[in-house]
Amino acid sequence: MSEVTMPRLSDTMQEGTIAHWLKKPGDEIKKGDILAEIETDKATMDLEAYEAGNLQQILVQEGETVPIGQPVAVIGSGAGVQQKEQPATSPAAVKIGAEEAPTAAVPAESISAQQKSPVTAESGDGALIKASPLARRMAEEYSIDLRRVQGTGPGGRIVRDDIEDMLEQQQATPAPAAPEPAPSPPAVPPQKVPAPISIPPETEVTPLSRVQLLIARRLTESKQTIPHFYVSSEVDMTDALAMRQTFNANAGEDSVKITVNDLIVKACALALEKFPEVNGSFKDGQLVKYKHINVGIAVDVPSGLVVPVIRDTNIKGVRSIAREAKALIAKARENKLAPVDLEGGTFSVSNLGMMDVSNFIAVINPPQAAILAVASTRKQFVPVDGQPVIRDLMPMTLSADHRVIYGATVARFLQEVKSLLQNPYSLLG
Amino acid sequence: MAEITYRQALHDCLREELLRDESVFLLGEEIGVFEGSYKITAGLLKEFGPKRVVDTPIVENGFVGMATGAAMLGLRPIVEIMTINFIVLAMDQIVNHAAKIYAMFGGQCPIPLVIRTPGGGGQQLAATHSQNLEVWFAHVPGLKVVAPSTPADAKGLLRTSVLDNNPVLFLENLALYNVKGVEPSSDYMVPIGQAKVIKEGTDLTVISYSRMAAVALDVARRMEQENNLSVEVVDLRSLRPLDHETVINSVKKTNRAIVFEEDWRSFGVGAEIAAFVQEEAFDDLDAPIKRVASLEVPLPYSKPLELATLTGAKQLIESINELAPRRRRR
Repeated sequence: MSEVTMPRLSDTMQEGTIAHWLKKPGDEIKKGDILAEIETDKATMDLEAYEAGNLQQILVQEGETVPIGQPVAVIGSGAGVQQKEQPATSPAAVKIGAEEAPTAAVPAESISAQQKSPVTAESGDGALIKASPLARRMAEEYSIDLRRVQGTGPGGRIVRDDIEDMLEQQQATPAPAAPEPAPSPPAVPPQKVPAPISIPPETEVTPLSRVQLLIARRLTESKQTIPHFYVSSEVDMTDALAMRQTFNANAGEDSVKITVNDLIVKACALALEKFPEVNGSFKDGQLVKYKHINVGIAVDVPSGLVVPVIRDTNIKGVRSIAREAKALIAKARENKLAPVDLEGGTFSVSNLGMMDVSNFIAVINPPQAAILAVASTRKQFVPVDGQPVIRDLMPMTLSADHRVIYGATVARFLQEVKSLLQNPYSLLG
Repeated sequence: MAEITYRQALHDCLREELLRDESVFLLGEEIGVFEGSYKITAGLLKEFGPKRVVDTPIVENGFVGMATGAAMLGLRPIVEIMTINFIVLAMDQIVNHAAKIYAMFGGQCPIPLVIRTPGGGGQQLAATHSQNLEVWFAHVPGLKVVAPSTPADAKGLLRTSVLDNNPVLFLENLALYNVKGVEPSSDYMVPIGQAKVIKEGTDLTVISYSRMAAVALDVARRMEQENNLSVEVVDLRSLRPLDHETVINSVKKTNRAIVFEEDWRSFGVGAEIAAFVQEEAFDDLDAPIKRVASLEVPLPYSKPLELATLTGAKQLIESINELAPRRRRR
């Protein structure tokens, strides 16, 4: 008999919600069967059975949230299902060199929002605090300032024991005079039952999902801590639309159609090559420029908003981008995005063009430094040689982090995007 | 429950496989008339005759090549190399031929070859007869490497190895042959690539294989009684494929790990394990992973020097005491 526990499905995950049980008590379970779908702070993922047996008991019901490591179900050994792996005896079953599962590679450049925790990195005088990875993780989980912990490991390293000592002390001394305004990272708050506030009549209260809470927290943090500024421009999309039409008309029935957004994404990626500071982050008083250009595309989903990422956008062709974007959007709509689909973005594009908006500005998606908001393309008269001519104009606004990017840079960047889109064949190079 | 020695477990399994499948045959130096340098094949020549139990000349490269050819043509040879020290003479056949033929020729013929060989030192056999070279083979794609520490696992893994269609290096150990353990049922099998937690614990994990796993188990049991320290022991059982999951789960539970191996430390099994553990469980580590291995010198013949060189229970206990957390978890 063994317990199935809430797995850690991403680096930042601290708890998970059982979205659906796919098995019910009494079901035979094979190793590898999907037991349930789990909603984490990033995505919905499968809970896989690591052992065969019989699902005896479900401990956590659908919709309930529990911390990682907590048992969610019990699998019994179930007579007759004792799996005995038959060794490969037929040539077809021989697997040479396929033994080691590759581990998910995370690009070194990807800086997750949760990693920005200056308090755990340095002591007051700028010296590095020695702490084991586990101790750091625990400090983050319990919002402990490592500077206040005495390390007892080799060379004064802070280890698990020291964090546990600290936690015990904290419990022993109930709330010492208002703990100093903790400069702690915005740790994911354990999902608390909202305090029963008096609800005015004739309102409907909907608790936010984990993803919505995460969005709320990160956007608040973004708008409150990043000095946003905005620069707008208008692009003449007439030629780009014509090119797209030709392109799609010549594409076969079943090949992927290119969208206007794919062209914009490609144009941004090429412009980012030229203006690397826009493809960066403000971090600890420094400008971090990313080597890779990974453009995220904002996708609206029933539960809120997700920004899946197209990696190395600048070196991909427009059709590859279109194919990838289509797949990511489909995954997003089905709530099937994996954390890896959402990580590593270095710039974002948010496009409301299809919804008849004249203009809008977007909130920066941290830790990125800029986001492009694209509005609807409209037919407008523009003077050409003194004569009114109808052209397709598309307004766009870039929101940028003024700590690392300045107005003139943004203006030049937008000029580049504009020039690429107005000479659309340059996007195909 | 009935007990059986490691030697007897191997003997019984070989006999059962010879009985079960006519394509299985044994070959090696002195395995027939002399009944094996370590008597694993005792009685088998008499029972199965010289076609199934073949005494070879002292030419490792030759008879391993012969076995590879036989495997290509559908037989299932089980080679005995007297000790792993002599396997260096057959490296070309193993690494360049047996390991690669299936992949290089479009999967036309699998190589169902088992090479049994004991490693290990401590018998005053000096530098050229006391080595632990298994990691050389664990490095090579196309080979499988197993290293059981108990009679039951020896039997279970030998059977799986004979049934496997890949060349398998089956590592035994001179000091394990007389070790007794529970006799498994006659159809007992252990999948290749599956480690086992042979003792549960909460304070730290010792990861080992072959004879050192048996030593680790003994040390862990003693320390539990004497020091109230709860040590978990993972017996890898297979070096290639290597079971990451069992090791990672254990490290996630205890947060501290020691790799205990009889071979040399540099580029060894511990190096590989330390690397993948930090890749896959970095945030669960509370201390650097320790490697406890033998000193990197050609092993001296002199008994006191041999004892000082080889790793063992003493070195493991010292390392456990160094690494143990201050707060016990139980």
